[in-house]
Amino acid sequence: MKLTWLLIPIFFISIHSYAQNKVTLSGTVRSKSKGETIIGATVSVDGKFSTKTNEYGFFSLQIPAGTYQLVVSYVSFTTYSDTIRASGDVVLHVRLDDAAQALDEVVISSSQERSLGTPQMGVEQVDLQEVKHVPVLMGERDVLKVIQLLPGIKPAGDGNSGMFVRGGGADQNLILLDEATVYNASHLLGFFSTFNSDAIKDMTVYKGGMPAQYGGRLSSVLDVKMNDGNNQDFNVSGGLGLISAKLNVEGPIQKDKSSFLVSGRRTYFDMFLKLSSDSSINNNQLYFYDLNAKLNFHLGDKDHLYFSGYLGKDRLGVGDVFGLDWGNTTGTLRWNHIFNSRLFSNTSMIYSNYDYNIGINSGTNKFNIYSSIEDYQLKQEFQWNAGNRNNVRFGLNSTYHTIRPGEVVANEESSVNDIFMQKRYSWENALFATDTWKASDKLQLTYGLRLSAFSILGEGDFYDVDGEGRVIDTMRYDRGEFVKTYLNLEPRLAASYQMNDYSSVKGSYVRNTQNLHLIANSTAASPTDKWIASTNVVKPEVSDQFALGYYRNLAGNRYELNVETYYKTMQNQIDYRDGADVYNGNNAIETELLYGKGRAYGIEWLLRKKSGRLSGWISYTLSKTERQIDGINNGEWYNARQDRTHDIAIVAMYQLNKKWTLSANWVYYTGDAITFPAGKYIIDDQTTYYYTQRNGYRMPDYHRLDLGATWQLKQKKRWSSELSFSLYNAYGRENAYVIEFQDSKDDPNRTVANQISLFRFIPSVSYNFKFK
Amino acid sequence: MDLLNRYSNKQNINMKRIDNYIWMSVLIILSGILFSCEKEIDIRLDGVEKRYVVEAVVTDEEGGSKVLISQTKDFDEDNTRATVSGAIVSMSDGTNSIDLEETAPGEYTSPTWLGTPGTTYHLRVQIGDEQITASSTMPDLIRMDSLYIREELIFGEIQKLATIDFMDPFGVPNYYRFVLYVNDRKIKQIFAFNDELTDGNANSLSLYVLTEAEDDEDKIKSGDVVRVEMLTTDAAVYKYFFSLANSATGDSNSATPANPVSNLRGNALGYFSAHTIQRKEVVAP
Repeated sequence: MKLTWLLIPIFFISIHSYAQNKVTLSGTVRSKSKGETIIGATVSVDGKFSTKTNEYGFFSLQIPAGTYQLVVSYVSFTTYSDTIRASGDVVLHVRLDDAAQALDEVVISSSQERSLGTPQMGVEQVDLQEVKHVPVLMGERDVLKVIQLLPGIKPAGDGNSGMFVRGGGADQNLILLDEATVYNASHLLGFFSTFNSDAIKDMTVYKGGMPAQYGGRLSSVLDVKMNDGNNQDFNVSGGLGLISAKLNVEGPIQKDKSSFLVSGRRTYFDMFLKLSSDSSINNNQLYFYDLNAKLNFHLGDKDHLYFSGYLGKDRLGVGDVFGLDWGNTTGTLRWNHIFNSRLFSNTSMIYSNYDYNIGINSGTNKFNIYSSIEDYQLKQEFQWNAGNRNNVRFGLNSTYHTIRPGEVVANEESSVNDIFMQKRYSWENALFATDTWKASDKLQLTYGLRLSAFSILGEGDFYDVDGEGRVIDTMRYDRGEFVKTYLNLEPRLAASYQMNDYSSVKGSYVRNTQNLHLIANSTAASPTDKWIASTNVVKPEVSDQFALGYYRNLAGNRYELNVETYYKTMQNQIDYRDGADVYNGNNAIETELLYGKGRAYGIEWLLRKKSGRLSGWISYTLSKTERQIDGINNGEWYNARQDRTHDIAIVAMYQLNKKWTLSANWVYYTGDAITFPAGKYIIDDQTTYYYTQRNGYRMPDYHRLDLGATWQLKQKKRWSSELSFSLYNAYGRENAYVIEFQDSKDDPNRTVANQISLFRFIPSVSYNFKFK
Repeated sequence: MDLLNRYSNKQNINMKRIDNYIWMSVLIILSGILFSCEKEIDIRLDGVEKRYVVEAVVTDEEGGSKVLISQTKDFDEDNTRATVSGAIVSMSDGTNSIDLEETAPGEYTSPTWLGTPGTTYHLRVQIGDEQITASSTMPDLIRMDSLYIREELIFGEIQKLATIDFMDPFGVPNYYRFVLYVNDRKIKQIFAFNDELTDGNANSLSLYVLTEAEDDEDKIKSGDVVRVEMLTTDAAVYKYFFSLANSATGDSNSATPANPVSNLRGNALGYFSAHTIQRKEVVAP
C-alpha cells in the first residue's frame, strides 16, 4: 500500500526524540504597537537553537533545561533579548517594538532575511514596506506587480497582474487569501489585482519546493495573509489616488483580546468618464471595489478565533446594451488551538466563490448569462514540535466544488432560448505529512508526502470521446454518484547544506497535480474564461520539478545573492483544437480539447541590497518553456506563448532624507512567442492569413522604466501623511500590446502589420494618511 | 474610436461576440483616459511553400456553381488572387456529374448545374498531380421573411443595421451565413451563425457592421441600397466560417491564430459549400 509511506516520517521522529531533560519553550510573537502576530520571526536561544514563528505567530522550541539568552528578531522591528531560566516548560509572549519608531536615524530596512539553513527554496517573500515604494501603473500599490519583478515570475502582459511562474500557465498559480482560493485575482481584465495592499500583512510565493500542505496547482503558490486588526489602538488610514480611494479602519474590540479590521477600496475613474463630452464614453461604466474584513478573538491562552472575509466586484457597462459584473467572494473561519507546548492545531472552514453575470440588451437579443465556481472547504492541520531536530506538519484538506458552466436566461420577447448547462460537482481531498529534520548543524532535510484524491461526482452526463473529438458514448450519472476518482501521490523533498556562516546549497524535488483547469481560448485573460474540473476524459495535470540553488550573503549581510536553476516537466496539458467553439452550448467541452505535455527550465539570479539608504535588487532569468501536443504544430515541440528567453528587472529605492524616498525600476524581457502568418490568400473576397507554425515568431522586446517618489509630509502625534508620485513608462517606450495584420487603409492592395501600444508616460499622484 | 471597431468581431449573436464586447469596451474606456497608439510596423515574415486554395460552392440557383482556385502568396505581395489555371474540376450528386469549365483565369463554372436541398454533393479537383476532394450537403431552405433597417445606439452613435426576420425550425441544428452589400459593395465581414441559443424561435437578426470609423463607406446611411444574401449551410461549412472569423483574420487579440477548419480532403486550403441562397434588397430610410 502506498499509504504506508506516510508512516515513514513518524518512524524517523521516534529515532530522534529520545533525548532527556528537555524543556519546551513556546509562545507567540506580536508587534507591540498593533498586537498583530508576526509571521516568520526568528526565536533563538544562545545562538544554538532557533526556530521561526508560524503563520499565526506561534513558536515551539525544545532545549535542554538551563539558563539561556533568548533573542527574538524580525526585520524592521527592534530585536528583543532576555535571559530565561528554563527548568521546566516555559510559555513566552514576546512583543516587539517597531524599529522605525524606536530609532531616529534613517534606516530602510529591507526585505526579510532569507534563511540559509532551512531546506525551503523557490520562495520569495514580499515586504509590504517595499511595495509602498515601488512605482506602479497609476499609483495603485499592488503586491502582485511587485512580485513580478522577482526572478522566475513574469507578468502576463503590459500592466497586467496575471502572471506566469517558471514557464507555467496563468491558471497554474494557487492564489490564497487567508487560505481561501481566489479564482480570478484581477480587476479590470488584469490591470489591477484583487489585493488591496492596505489590508495585507504578508505574502509568500512558492515557485518550487512547495511544502506538502499546499497543493492543487502546478506552478506556484501565492499565500496572502490579511492583517488581523490592531488590538491596541484605533487606527484610521486611507488614500486618494489617481483612480481609486481607500479607507482602512481597525482597532480593538477588547484591548489585547480581540480586534477588527475593515478595509475598502473603490475606483472612481467612471466619474471621469461622465465628464467626457463624447457620448460613446460618458454613458459607459467601468469600476471595481474591494472590501476586506477581519475579526479575531483570543479565547484564553490556548485558543484563538479568526474570521476573515473578502468581497470584490467589477462592473463594466456599455450604455444599456451590454453589462458585465464579475467578482470573488471568500470567507474563512479559523480556530487555533494549542494542545500543549509542542502541538499546535488549526482548523479552517473556508468558502470561496467566483462568478460573472453578463447582460445583453440589443435588438431582439435580451438575455443574461451567469456562470460560477463555488467551494466549501474544511482544513485541519497539526504542527508538532517532535524534538529539537524535527518539526512535523500533518493534516487533511477536503473541498467540495460546484461549477456552473453557463446559464442563459432570456426575456420573453427575446429570440434567445433559456439554456442551463449541467452543473459539475467534484470533491477534492488531500492528506499530507511533512517533517523538517535537522540532521546535523549543516544538513537539514524536509521530506513529505501529499496524497490527493479528486472525485468527480454526478449528477450529469459524461462522455467518451474519440481521437477526432467526436462523442462516441454518453454515460448518465445520478446525483452523488462517483464518476471517477483520481489518486495522486505527491512527494515533496528538499535538502539544504549550509557550507559556512554565509552560504548554503539547496536541492528539491516536488510533484504537483491540478484538477481544475482554466480554459481560455483568447490570448488575453478575460473574466469569462472557463474553469473546468477534470472529467473521465480530461486527466489531472501533473508536474515534476527539480531545483538546485546556491545562496550567499555578501559584504557582511548587506547583500545577498541567490541562484536557482530548475527543470520542470508537465503532463496532461490542455489546449484547444483549431477552430474550437469555446462557448458551445452542449456540455461536451472535451470535444474541443487536445492534450499534451510541457517542459520548462531555466536559471534565476537575484542580487539584493538589503540595507542602507539605497536598497533594491537586480533579477535575471534565462528560461525556456515549451509544449508538445498532438494536433498542434504537427505534433512537434513549440514555444509556449509565455516563453521569454531573457527577463531582467532592476529595482532601486533611495532614501534621500527623512522626507523623500525615491525609487525606480526598469524591466526588460524578450517578446512573447507568437503565431504570425506565413502567407495570405483570398476567401470570400477577403484577405485571409495562412499559418504554418505555432508561436514561431516573437513579439518585439519589451522594456520600460518607472520612476517614483514618496514625500513624507509633516508628522504629528496622531497624524501622518505622505504624497506619492509616479511615472509609469518614463521614456515612453511603445511596447507592443497586440500586433494585427490587415489590409492597408491607404492601399487595400497591400497587407500591413499594425502594432497597438498602451500606457506611455502614465503619471500619477496619490495621497495617503494615517490617523490614530 | 477606431479601437472600437478593431476589437469588434466578424460575427453576430454568438458568445464569442461577448468577449470582444468586453475587450472593446475596456479599451475604448481606457483609450478615453489614457494614451494608446497604433502604428504600422515592419515585421520580417518568412515566405513558405505555396499551397492551393479552393473556394467551391454549389447553390440552389441556376449558374450558382462556382469554383475559384488560387495559391497562397507571401505577406509582402499584393492582394490579388494568384489564380491557378488548367485544373480539372467536377461535381457530382452521386448519380449525375458535371465538369466545370474555366471561364476566367482560376474561375471554373457551370451554367446548368443546379443544387437541390437534401442532396449531398461531391467535388473533385485535379491540379497536376494534386487531387482535392470534398463533400457538402445542401440543407433545407429557410424562408427569409423580410429585410429592413433597424436603428441602435452603439457606443453613443446611432447605427443603421440591416435586419433579417426568419423563423428557425425547432429541434434541428441550423446554420446560416449572410452576405451584406451596401450600394453593391460587398462588406468584408463574415456573418456566420448557428441556432444554438435560438432554436425554434422567430429571429430578428441584425448585421453589425464594425469597421474602421473613418471608413464611413461601410456604414449604412439614408438612401443606401442595402442587399442581403441569406445562405443556409451544413455544419462543416459553418465550422469553416466560424473558425475563419475567429482565428484567421489577422486580429491577434482573439483566439490563437490558426488555419480555419476545412472540409477539403487533400493538400489545399479553402472549403466546399452546398447552400441555399435568397436575396432581398431595401433602401435605407
